Amino acid sequence: MHRIKAVVASPVAFSVLAGVVIGALFLVGTGADPVAAYEAVITGSLGADGIGSTLTTLTSVLGLALALAVPLRAGLINLGGDGQLVLGGMAAAVTGLYSPLPAPLTVVLSLLAGMAAGAGYAALAAVCENRFGVPLLVSSLLLSYPAASFASYLARYPLKEPGSSLPQTRQLPDGVALATFGSSTVTVGLLLVVVAAAAYWFTDRRTAFGYEMRMTGLNARFSAYAGVERKGLTLRLMAVSGALAGLVGAIGVLSFPYRFLDGSLTASGYTWTGLTAALLAAASPVGTVLASFFFAVLQVGGLSMERTTEVPRELTQVLQAIVIVFLAARLRFPQWWFNRRKEAV
Amino acid sequence: MTPPPPADMREAAVELRGITKRFPGTLANDAVDLTVSRGEIHALMGENGAGKSTLMSVLYGMERPDAGTVHVDGREVTFSDPGDAMAAGLGMVHQSFKLFDSLTVAENVVYAAEPRRFGLVDRGAARRRVRELAEEHGLAVDPDALVGDLPVGLRQRVEILKLLHRGARTLILDEPTAVLTPAEADALFAVLKSLAAQGRTVILVTHKLREVLEGSDNVTVLRDGRVVARLVTAETSAADIAAAMTGRAVELDRVHASGTPGATVLDVTDLATDGVRGVQLAVRAGEIVGIAGVAGNGQSELVEALAGLRPVTAGRVALLGDDITHASATERRARGLAYVPEDRHAVGTAPAASVADNLAMGHHRTSLSSRGLLPPTAVRGHAQRLIERFGIKASSPEVPASSLSGGNLQKLLIGRELAHDAPLLLVEQPTRGVDIGAVQNIHDQLIAYRDAGHAVLLVSAELSEIRGLADRVLVMYEGRVTASYDKAEADERTLGLAMAGGPAPTEVRD
Repeated sequence: MHRIKAVVASPVAFSVLAGVVIGALFLVGTGADPVAAYEAVITGSLGADGIGSTLTTLTSVLGLALALAVPLRAGLINLGGDGQLVLGGMAAAVTGLYSPLPAPLTVVLSLLAGMAAGAGYAALAAVCENRFGVPLLVSSLLLSYPAASFASYLARYPLKEPGSSLPQTRQLPDGVALATFGSSTVTVGLLLVVVAAAAYWFTDRRTAFGYEMRMTGLNARFSAYAGVERKGLTLRLMAVSGALAGLVGAIGVLSFPYRFLDGSLTASGYTWTGLTAALLAAASPVGTVLASFFFAVLQVGGLSMERTTEVPRELTQVLQAIVIVFLAARLRFPQWWFNRRKEAV
Repeated sequence: MTPPPPADMREAAVELRGITKRFPGTLANDAVDLTVSRGEIHALMGENGAGKSTLMSVLYGMERPDAGTVHVDGREVTFSDPGDAMAAGLGMVHQSFKLFDSLTVAENVVYAAEPRRFGLVDRGAARRRVRELAEEHGLAVDPDALVGDLPVGLRQRVEILKLLHRGARTLILDEPTAVLTPAEADALFAVLKSLAAQGRTVILVTHKLREVLEGSDNVTVLRDGRVVARLVTAETSAADIAAAMTGRAVELDRVHASGTPGATVLDVTDLATDGVRGVQLAVRAGEIVGIAGVAGNGQSELVEALAGLRPVTAGRVALLGDDITHASATERRARGLAYVPEDRHAVGTAPAASVADNLAMGHHRTSLSSRGLLPPTAVRGHAQRLIERFGIKASSPEVPASSLSGGNLQKLLIGRELAHDAPLLLVEQPTRGVDIGAVQNIHDQLIAYRDAGHAVLLVSAELSEIRGLADRVLVMYEGRVTASYDKAEADERTLGLAMAGGPAPTEVRD
């Protein structure tokens, strides 16, 4: 009984474990060797050949997970990550192509432009809620589509690379790119995202603003009662969220292939992986980093598993899905748990 | 102190034998025996944490006892969830009601036991059923009203109707009068007595002495998880029960001496907001002004408007001479207002957050932070100081606030707001659901705060509390202040009459 309680008390560990076990059953059911498959996932993602790819994936997944975790901490859900990501990428591409500044400064300016574009667009969703009463969930999601279409239009018509058959902009000028570590594909973008994670942790634990954000997430009426101004909080958190999504877009454009290619930023579905990671961690800063790493390992390791064993990479998606289902079930536990315990203490 | 259970000749409706329930670190129930006869109103008394709720959770199938047996109507039963308990004829009204605010009274009453026609819910039959039940038991309530629009007193009626609709033979009521005025409580007891006369059984979980003496047949008192007294109500007194509950002699219904009022702190002129019209009132430094009234007569709306949580539609509010009619909650707090709201769980705290975080609210932008930084050490130190100063029982500042008992959570809230040292304190229902020991402590804190030269506006449904603390008493009825009394004039009969909308013997002053 106590062991069951302890496991339920740590639903994240429980969900991940359940995912791994049920995934193993799937593998056994299809006649594959689960040990070999999981080994392929681990060596493929964390071994010498895979770690670079994992860290590159982590850059995007963690950046977007943070973008979604920031508002989620206050109980707000930003479903417009894709639109903010794409606008950020497009703003960075335009800045990179047309900035008259020297290359290093252009890189910085591109990153800032990407963040500003994402922030502004996410703030628009917040304004829709604050001023017009459109729920954030709806406004952020619906605003996402025109943003993606607009960027697509730019990449297909006015900014299209002449002579190319692809819907893409010209390549950024020489030197307008993020520095990489050695010969790998890992850019300093990873550092930027890690710094953002550290800043999120610091804000969450050590600042009055972070305190207000947490308390609003735990009980919005409580923070309103004490004078926390909800509309301002929504606006600021959404702007930060959009800035982070835009940063990921800018990092994507300033890395290989150094241009805006329509659809490439959103093709991998990192926004949804990021949302899942943020939900998995209940938006806690450290948890979001760990969950993002977990999903990056699954994504990269899944590809490698497909190459070296007979197992298709969809298995890793099955794993993700199982983890999500178990976590969604967790949402019902806490309230009930409090009620039972209250009088006992 | 502990006589054997009364050898009652009537059939036992509910019998708990040797119930023991252990939680990590606590023995919530220690070999508790409780026998309740059919047709009896039995009061189960004890302070918060004495084990009343745990015992009722065991009876109602929400907790499995570690030892002991439960008998209902003479048969041994094992309930694995409240559904089993309901099927056996038990029904419980929880202290926090379990109703759907967005559904009508009729829909709530028949929920999960709907009258059907052609497989669909028969709404007409549901409404008729509610009217019948309401008439039969004197529980008047409009079947078509939305539950969310009803005052707390009427929501309780909906809960009772729900149990009656499902044919409950034994009703368990957890702190049923915590939200009611004397008149409403009397009405409730009339209903309970008529139910008992029909052969239904009522178990009252409460720590209010007055109604236990007036409304119950027998009393079982728990302290620290054990039965410390079994009393026949007719042969006991409030002092005896209080002594059994606390283990010491306590002074009941103390009336505190008047304060010495100074300059006006809060001045309200012709205030109107939802459900409130033309309210005039003033609170001076060194004075407690009490607002009495039946729940739902505009008191909550008035206080919310004063606190900046509800827009003012007309009139003027001045704090220390400055117009704050349209100021935000934050501005009001900055100008010197602190507020203890009615609902500690939904508004006054974040139950899932730690005790330290809950104590920091409102101080997090002022005394605890500098340049936007809020060091965890400052939050923790602040929490430890308040825990010590206000005697909050928490094993550590890091435990979630939800782990505190009702009385301790209220001490946390009151301590946090008093620590602002604000010239004006708004307090709603400061001792609702709080045990006797803590009530005295909270009252002493409020009086000390007044004596330190602060103005206090107190809203309470407890007449004894208003009379004990307030220097002046205003009565609210249908959104207006209809009467005003000095401490000496405010006897229970006069207030009760004014609260019921009766003729006010004196005109409204100031």
